[in-house]
Amino acid sequence: MKKILKWIAIGVVCLIVVGFIAFLYLIPPFDMLPREAFSQPHAAAVASSLDKINDPVERALAKRGQYIMSISDCNGCHTPQGDQGPNWDEYLAGGAKFEMIKPGTAHSRNLTPDKQTGLTRRTDEEVKRVLRSGVFHDGRIFEPTFMPWPAFTNMTEEDRHALVTYLRHIKPIKHDVPEWSPNSSAPLNSFYPYDYAEHEKKK
Amino acid sequence: MKFFSRGMVLFFAGTCWIGLGNYLLSSPADPNDAAQASLGKTIFDARCSPCHGISGKGDGAASALLNPRPRNFTSGMFKFRSTESGSLPTDDDLMTTVKNGLYGTAMSDWAPFITGDSLKAVVNYMKTFSARFQNEKPHPVHISSQIPSSAASIVAGKKVYAKLQCANCHGTDGAGAGVIAKDFKDNWDFETNAVNLIEPWTFRGGSSARDIYLRFRTGVDGTPMPSYAGTVSEKEMWDLANYVVSIGRKPVWKMNENEIREFYAKLDAQAKADPVERGKYLVRTIGCASCHSTYTDDLRLVEGTQLSGGLTFDLYPFGKYVARNLTSDMETGLGNWTDQEIKRAFTQGISRDGRKFLPFPMAWPAYASMKEDDQNAIVTYLRTVPAVHHKIPDPEKPNIFSYLWGKFRMLILKERIPSPAYPMKEATEQQPVSQISPSATKNFAARADREKEARP
Repeated sequence: MKKILKWIAIGVVCLIVVGFIAFLYLIPPFDMLPREAFSQPHAAAVASSLDKINDPVERALAKRGQYIMSISDCNGCHTPQGDQGPNWDEYLAGGAKFEMIKPGTAHSRNLTPDKQTGLTRRTDEEVKRVLRSGVFHDGRIFEPTFMPWPAFTNMTEEDRHALVTYLRHIKPIKHDVPEWSPNSSAPLNSFYPYDYAEHEKKK
Repeated sequence: MKFFSRGMVLFFAGTCWIGLGNYLLSSPADPNDAAQASLGKTIFDARCSPCHGISGKGDGAASALLNPRPRNFTSGMFKFRSTESGSLPTDDDLMTTVKNGLYGTAMSDWAPFITGDSLKAVVNYMKTFSARFQNEKPHPVHISSQIPSSAASIVAGKKVYAKLQCANCHGTDGAGAGVIAKDFKDNWDFETNAVNLIEPWTFRGGSSARDIYLRFRTGVDGTPMPSYAGTVSEKEMWDLANYVVSIGRKPVWKMNENEIREFYAKLDAQAKADPVERGKYLVRTIGCASCHSTYTDDLRLVEGTQLSGGLTFDLYPFGKYVARNLTSDMETGLGNWTDQEIKRAFTQGISRDGRKFLPFPMAWPAYASMKEDDQNAIVTYLRTVPAVHHKIPDPEKPNIFSYLWGKFRMLILKERIPSPAYPMKEATEQQPVSQISPSATKNFAARADREKEARP
């Protein structure tokens, strides 16, 4: 009787181990899921209703901006990632962490029109300057491998205007994103202009 | 010793003394100059070098994806001046460009950030890259008194437009319709286009009649746009400027409801009629080349490898993926793929051989929302990209134990792997991002040669 129980116990343990391994092997992340599992939630999130906008010109601009935004994959970095892909409830709220040896650590910014933490703090010109020249509101330049602004700069000014109009009409989300922190141990490469403000102050 | 009188000795001593004094006064050891030079360098390195490069050659990290390319200061040739064709720009010209930026390009308006002494310092530093600034002086043009715009002046301007055959490059309507030449190269061998004259907000040097007059008067050095000084009278140039101002259309931010609807319908129709142009625009703005290119160890895009693949993403535990070759090469690129296969790859993430992509870094879930016409345009454009033979290795999958361990870390220990930052971190830390095969290098060289030969 004891022997049988022992064997049963061993069998159960084996089953658990094999089951766990099989679970690990087969669990979806990414390559095992059907393709629509990625593209459909994306399409649904992007298709937030813009019909509420009263001004017809704003509405037309925002709709074009929405299309540009969705095919330029702004979500890829600016919508926080959960375990199973982007967290669509925090659409474009930023916060993805980028750690790099040379320039340091940056978090993708909150692009929603929130008054304290989002893009409402920036003028249209400031947002467009980022997209056009990679220059932040305080004069810092983006590392071009962080955000592909050298690609977005090829956009026409009119499309850029449409994109900014769209960003003004999405759902505001309060999400305070940490500021840039340069990597102090890295050699002070002139390419990363965080020393510039200090230099100006000394003057 | 009587030969040297006391007076003469004094005279010689005095001359030497004055000479020495002059030398000291003019020497660069002046602390103010040194401080200004160092300030200029600091600002330049921080704000200009990402595009113009540390050595001012226009080869900064961002340069390879920009159109038009950032200025190469070592050539001492500048487009937007108030000086004679071929002459150096004045300091004011350079400062204006830095302050206002160049509309329609990536050159930012630096007025909020660089002012006063900083502006002077950075312009002076910029001038040290070319020896021309030491040897030559700018020759400012004499700007004749402006002729105010009037119906008569605009009509006269239209005649000048026809007389000078502006339509050959800018089109009969100013927007490129019916042009005989479209593919221009500038003096630095990069593509350049005749400006669309009905979109004044994209005029690099400004859109006032005076700015436009200056472009005819001085020419745009380094591009096919010549100076018309001497060809037409001053009055005709002002008439032409008034005409160009008059043909400018409304930008979208000034349109009303009907205008904007018609405008977007027109854009869609144009995109359908000219898929290559639309595809080129999409590929450039989406930034396909930011990943589908070869990078050096310090993450600089290797010039000439745009769209031919090579950037490696180490996405442990899913494997190592290399951005594919998107050029039309039959063996290593997309040459053998059907249109449907290319579209399926970038909208559904399924490769030609049925292999499934991860949902990142290739953003196919985003491209899935692309309109059918735009998908076709991208395919049409990619077919026109010159073939580059660059074999891309297949993805490397980790062994089963490593894969399971990685998934365990990810799902049970909740470690954030793989994250989009992961490959970048790896790249700067340990291993080179990618290796260019010798055959690929040879091909890039051959391609450059072919392109050179093809040019007149």
